[in-house]
Amino acid sequence: MYLIGFLVNPIAGMGGTVGLKGTDGQVEEARARGAMPKAAERAVETLVLLAGQPVRYLACSGTMGEEILKKAGIKDYEVVFCPDQGTTSADDSIAVCRVFVQRRVDLVLFCGGDGTARDIYSVLGDAIPMLGIPAGVKMFSAVFAVTPVAAAQIIRSGCTSGGRFFLRDAEVVDVDEEAYREGELRSRLFGIAKSPYVQGLSQGTKQVFESHDEERAKSDIGRFISEVMEGTPEVLYLLGPGSTTAAIAERLGLKKTLLGFDAVKGVKLVDSDLNEKAMLALIKKNMPARLVISIIGAQGSLLGRGTQQVSPEVLRMIGIENIIVIATPQKLAETPVVFVDTGDAVLDRDFGDHIPVVSGYRIARRVRIGREDIPCPNEC
Amino acid sequence: MQTKILLDEDQMPKAWYNILADLPTPLDPPLHPGTGKPLVPEDLAQIFPMELIMQEMSPKRMIDIPSEVQDVLRLWRPSPLYRAHRLEKQLKTPAHIYYKYEGVSPPGSHKPNTAVPQAYYNMKAGIERIATETGAGQWGSALAFATQLFGLECTVYMVRASYTQKPYRKSMMQVWGAECIPSPSTRTKSGSAVLQKDPETPGSLGIAISEAVEDAATHSNTNYSLGSVLNHVCLHQTVTGLESKEQLATVDEYPDVVIGCLGGGSNFAGISFPFAGDKLKGTHRDTDIIAVEPASCPKLTKGVYTYDYGDVAGLTPLLKMFTLGHDFIPPSIHAGGLRYHGASPIDSKLIHDGIMRAVSYHQSEVFDAAQTFARTEGIIIAPETSHAAKAAIDEALKCKKSGEAKTILFNCSGHGHFDMSAFDAYYAKQLVDYEYPEKLIRESLARLPKIPGA
Ligand SMILES: Cc1ncc(COP(=O)(O)O)c(C=O)c1O
Repeated sequence: MYLIGFLVNPIAGMGGTVGLKGTDGQVEEARARGAMPKAAERAVETLVLLAGQPVRYLACSGTMGEEILKKAGIKDYEVVFCPDQGTTSADDSIAVCRVFVQRRVDLVLFCGGDGTARDIYSVLGDAIPMLGIPAGVKMFSAVFAVTPVAAAQIIRSGCTSGGRFFLRDAEVVDVDEEAYREGELRSRLFGIAKSPYVQGLSQGTKQVFESHDEERAKSDIGRFISEVMEGTPEVLYLLGPGSTTAAIAERLGLKKTLLGFDAVKGVKLVDSDLNEKAMLALIKKNMPARLVISIIGAQGSLLGRGTQQVSPEVLRMIGIENIIVIATPQKLAETPVVFVDTGDAVLDRDFGDHIPVVSGYRIARRVRIGREDIPCPNEC
Repeated sequence: MQTKILLDEDQMPKAWYNILADLPTPLDPPLHPGTGKPLVPEDLAQIFPMELIMQEMSPKRMIDIPSEVQDVLRLWRPSPLYRAHRLEKQLKTPAHIYYKYEGVSPPGSHKPNTAVPQAYYNMKAGIERIATETGAGQWGSALAFATQLFGLECTVYMVRASYTQKPYRKSMMQVWGAECIPSPSTRTKSGSAVLQKDPETPGSLGIAISEAVEDAATHSNTNYSLGSVLNHVCLHQTVTGLESKEQLATVDEYPDVVIGCLGGGSNFAGISFPFAGDKLKGTHRDTDIIAVEPASCPKLTKGVYTYDYGDVAGLTPLLKMFTLGHDFIPPSIHAGGLRYHGASPIDSKLIHDGIMRAVSYHQSEVFDAAQTFARTEGIIIAPETSHAAKAAIDEALKCKKSGEAKTILFNCSGHGHFDMSAFDAYYAKQLVDYEYPEKLIRESLARLPKIPGA
């Protein structure tokens, strides 16, 4: 039997339908514009497909959980937290997640957007996996299933394979809603959660991966790039955030910050968690320099999502040809197109139409660079 | 409008063409992996029959094909040469495109052209079993077919990734009585060593070669057989080029462009050597001879021309060739037969010396070409072969631009009937285009020790 912590942010996504970007602090405005709560509907879509599965749910009372479970005809649940009805808040999400942790749930299934993901992650960290049913206005985090139906499929496949999920690292991206409403996407990498997924493998149309599991792929990439770094001790390397870049540092026996940019030269750590100014100063003193970055989030963004430190000025100083992009084949399977958004359209164009992405030991893939605006996976 | 140009059985070549006789400067000799000294025939006697060792080093221009071998080859030879009328029409090209179709052999590719004589010479030498490796299974199934005709046992070490992904090639080997083992295996020391380090490894051709060589070297009744790369293998494949030359002559043609895909280099050698010989002798100086490789495993266009081992463990002699390094494990493209780090020393030398040249393509454009070919000429060709078709189409399109009516010949090395999952992946838009990160790889190698003789 599976224990799932179930949580709905009932107001998630309300802003989107009425032209608001995000719903934080905007609920009244959204209601005034005629928005209907639809997170509930989407969550029901997922739950209905889970009827009959060996799952027991822990949930909040009311619109954040119980009402929705009932609507989906689910009987095996336990209410573990009672939020104030009417004005549910992020604090309630955080409070119920604490209970989920205490009760050692196998998974937290939630319905919401990036903001909800961030709140949940702040409690779970990477100790308990999380999976999002997409309902928010923005979903740049990689913890979301593509659709409510896909979320159900992921859980069902976990149930049929004897309670084992394939887990992978999924970035939780924090978007500055104020700025986003002004039309500017400013985001940072908030953390790296664990999230279940289904390997998109069906017999016959198998994807042939360089290596079948993602941890192995990471260590292959780490081995290759660390050898490159050992072979070029005169070059300053700026290692970006994420677990794939961390695998490189691990190979070299260096301690890297998970979310920041760290500088390495001659296989020695020069500085950690650099901001833009520190980066510029360091590069100026240490040419040639190279940037090693991975693809972040669910939409395949390269620069501009969670990497605000790397300004156009930093990139110009380093030179596009000195950017090494890395990503596991599993990540690339979901993001066949990457988007470059440096904040400088001319520079974006200089990246061309394709970029080589190192995806294994001495292996790179040719990945298309998307030119459309950064897409949002769902309705916005 | 003739479509199929056929030769009678008695027009099948009675001798192979040995291009070593016409090279202006001799090939750099293979070196002993232990001593670094040039090999002597005895060095190879442990794993090859003497007849093949002599062919490997022979200065004779024409080498007779034994009549017992001819008898077997006649099961499908002479193979047809097709004029690709429908493809030409589709491309609206003035070029004449011809393809030599080797998919008519029982195993479905050019591979039995050498599997049959190799099995024969081993049988003659009193050998009871042959060990070999196979990638996608084309070579393994060809050798399985050939050995049972001469009453030999056959053990095939098949790259593990293909063993699970291409189950039907394994089934064919079983029908023909061979034993097929996923590699790396615990049968050999080299296989066990790899498994110990990495139980989850998908394997590689280089590892499988190490296992087969070790198997042969440690069993006195067993020899080793290689399906490509070596001089005698290229020699046996020249039946395709020799027949093509005859067939083209019957319609008063001589090729301006000769094309083959290149894995280890044998089908390319087979189609091109008779024409490269004419070029060396000066009778046809301007023939453009093109080897086609995958962009993901670009030894000819991005590798180095140097001495390297043929396998991962370093058990084989050192060969002077274009290589990406014997420890390079190429990405899992669907053209499994082109996933090899090195290339035939003769092909390499001729390319290095500018007699022939090389181009590379990404697999998605290669499958586009395969689809065009299938929808015009009807044949669903192997992913390996599709590389050659892609180059032929590109050359024909160049003719369309320039208005030249060039004669283009390519080796259509095999059918793709056991590669349908690759086409499924193509239609599911799941084909990945790989890039060889040349600069980074060179930098990463800077810290490695040099191999002897390099
Ligand atoms: C159909 C086909 N063509 C070409 C090749 C490449 O080998 P080679 O370069 O030795 O001709 C292979 C190898 O497996 C093959 O199966």
